[in-house]
Amino acid sequence: MTLATRDSEDRIILAAALARTDLRPATRMQWLRELFARPAGRLAGQIAIVALLLAIWQFGSGRFLPHVWVSSPSAIFARLISWFVDGSIWIHLAATLSAAASGYVIGSVAGIASGLALGLSPRLERILSPFVTALYSLPKVALAPFFVIFLGIGVESKIALVAVTVYFLLLYNTLDGLHDLERSWASAYRIMGARQQEIIRHVLLPGVMPWIFSGLRIAVRYAFTAAVLGELIAGNEGIGFLIENSAGNYNSAGIFAGVFVLVICSVTATQIIARAEKAVLHWRT
Amino acid sequence: MTGSLIKLEGISKTFQRDSNAIMALSPTDLSIERGDFVAFVGPSGCGKSTILNMVAGLLRPSEGRLFYGGAPVDDLNLHVGYMTQKDTLLPWRTVTDNIGSPLELACRKTPKTERMDKIRQMIDLVGLGGFEKHYPGELSGGMRRRVALARMLIYNPDTLLMDEPFGALDAQLKLVMHDEIQRIVGIGQKTVLFVTHDLGEAIALADRVVVFSSRPGRIKVIRSVDLPRPRDVFRIRFAPRFTELHEELWDQLKDEVKKGVDT
Repeated sequence: MTLATRDSEDRIILAAALARTDLRPATRMQWLRELFARPAGRLAGQIAIVALLLAIWQFGSGRFLPHVWVSSPSAIFARLISWFVDGSIWIHLAATLSAAASGYVIGSVAGIASGLALGLSPRLERILSPFVTALYSLPKVALAPFFVIFLGIGVESKIALVAVTVYFLLLYNTLDGLHDLERSWASAYRIMGARQQEIIRHVLLPGVMPWIFSGLRIAVRYAFTAAVLGELIAGNEGIGFLIENSAGNYNSAGIFAGVFVLVICSVTATQIIARAEKAVLHWRT
Repeated sequence: MTGSLIKLEGISKTFQRDSNAIMALSPTDLSIERGDFVAFVGPSGCGKSTILNMVAGLLRPSEGRLFYGGAPVDDLNLHVGYMTQKDTLLPWRTVTDNIGSPLELACRKTPKTERMDKIRQMIDLVGLGGFEKHYPGELSGGMRRRVALARMLIYNPDTLLMDEPFGALDAQLKLVMHDEIQRIVGIGQKTVLFVTHDLGEAIALADRVVVFSSRPGRIKVIRSVDLPRPRDVFRIRFAPRFTELHEELWDQLKDEVKKGVDT
C-alpha cells in the first residue's frame, strides 16, 4: 500500500513537472535554459563567467584600472609560474600547510575530547561552562601577539593560534550535538531501560558524528585563516608572509598569486573532509 | 495485589518553574484494569502526559501513591512501552537494527539468533517486509510510525503508553494506523493508555475515555465507550452511537479547551 502511494506520488510530481514545461512559453532564450539544465552546460556557463571576468580584468588593467593595485591575470599567472619553476613556493606552502594541519589536528582532537567530557558529565559542564563561554567569546586573533612572545615567530606560534581557533569550534559543535541528542534520542532509550553507559555507546557517540563532521568541515577554513594571520603578524615564511612581503613591495601580482594558492588549498582540504563525511555518514539522504 | 493493574491514589504533580510552583495535576484517583484501552483527552498542559510519565517511572508524584501490578512505582517501569509523537528512531541505524535495539540492552539481553527471529516477526506484524535494510530517512511518516510501533512491541510490554502517537500524521493515514493498532495491539491483550487531542480518535479506539479539565488537571468525566468490537475505524464515525458519544464528550471538553486557550 505504502509502495503504491509512493509510486503515485512520483507520478504526480512527474505530471506537475511536465505541465510546468508545457506552460512555459517558448522564448528565444529557450536554448540557453536547456543548456544550463545539464551539468555539462552549467560547467560551460561557469567557465564562461570566469573567462569573461578575467578578460575584463586583463583588458581593463592599465586602462581603466590602475595596474599597480589590481595587477592583471597574466601577471599573476606569470608570478605563479615563476614561484613553481624556481621552487620558492614550496618552502612557503609547506610552512603554511604544516602549521594549519598540525594546529587543526591538535585543536580538533582536544576540542572533540573536551566537548565529549563536558557533554557526558553535566557536573563538569556546570562548573566549567562560564570559563569556556568567556574564552569562546574572546577573539582568538587577539591572542596572536601573546603566542609570538611566548612561542617565538616560528611555526609553533602559528600552530598554537590555529589549534586554539579550531579547539573551540569543535568543542562547541560536539557539546551542542550531545545536548540535542540528550533531548531527543537519549530519553527514548532511557525509557526502553537503557543504562547511562548504554546510552553513551548506542546513542551519544554514534549520534554526535554529524555535529563533529560539520565542525571539522567548517574548521578547515578557520585553520587556514588563523595560520595566515599568524604569518602576517610575524614570521619569515609561509603564504601569509609571501603576501605580506609582496604588499611591502607594492607587488600586487604577488598578493593575488598568494591568495589564489590559499584558496586552492582551503577548497581542496574542505573537499577531502566533505568526502570523508559523506562516506562515514552514508545513512544521511 | 489490589486487582487493578494500574492504580492512581490521589496522585498530583507540582512543577517548580523559577520561583513559582505550578500545579499540573491536582490529586487524582484512577484504576485501570489489565487489558483496558483508556484514552486521555483534555486541553494542553492538563497533566495527561504527566500521568504517563509517572506510570513509566520517569516522574515521581508530588503527592499520593501510584501502583503498577500491586507494587509502588519507584523506579523506571520496565513493563511498559512508550511511544510519543516525536520520532525517536536512530537515523543511523536500519529498520532492522532500530526494531531490535531494545533487545540489545542489558535489561533485556537476547541472543542474536533469537533477536533476529523476533525482528522478522515484528516486521511481518507491522507490514514492513522489503524495507529491512532501509534507514529511517528513506521511509515515509507512516512507515516510521510502524517501525516505532514494532520497536515498542518487540519486548512484549504489558502496558503501552502512547502520547499522541499519530499526532503528526494526516487524517487518512491516522485511520490506517488506527486499524493497525487494533489489529497489532490485539484489543484485550495489552493495557493501553492513549493520550490524544482528537476526541474522535479516543472514541474510535478506547474502552474508556477520560476527559481532563484544564490546568491544574483533574478528571472531569470518565465515559465507557459501548461500541461493539471489533470496530471498523473507517466507518465508525457514521454510527449513531459514535455521534452521541462524541457530542456528549465534546460538551464536556469544549469549556475546558476554551479555558485552556484563555490562560
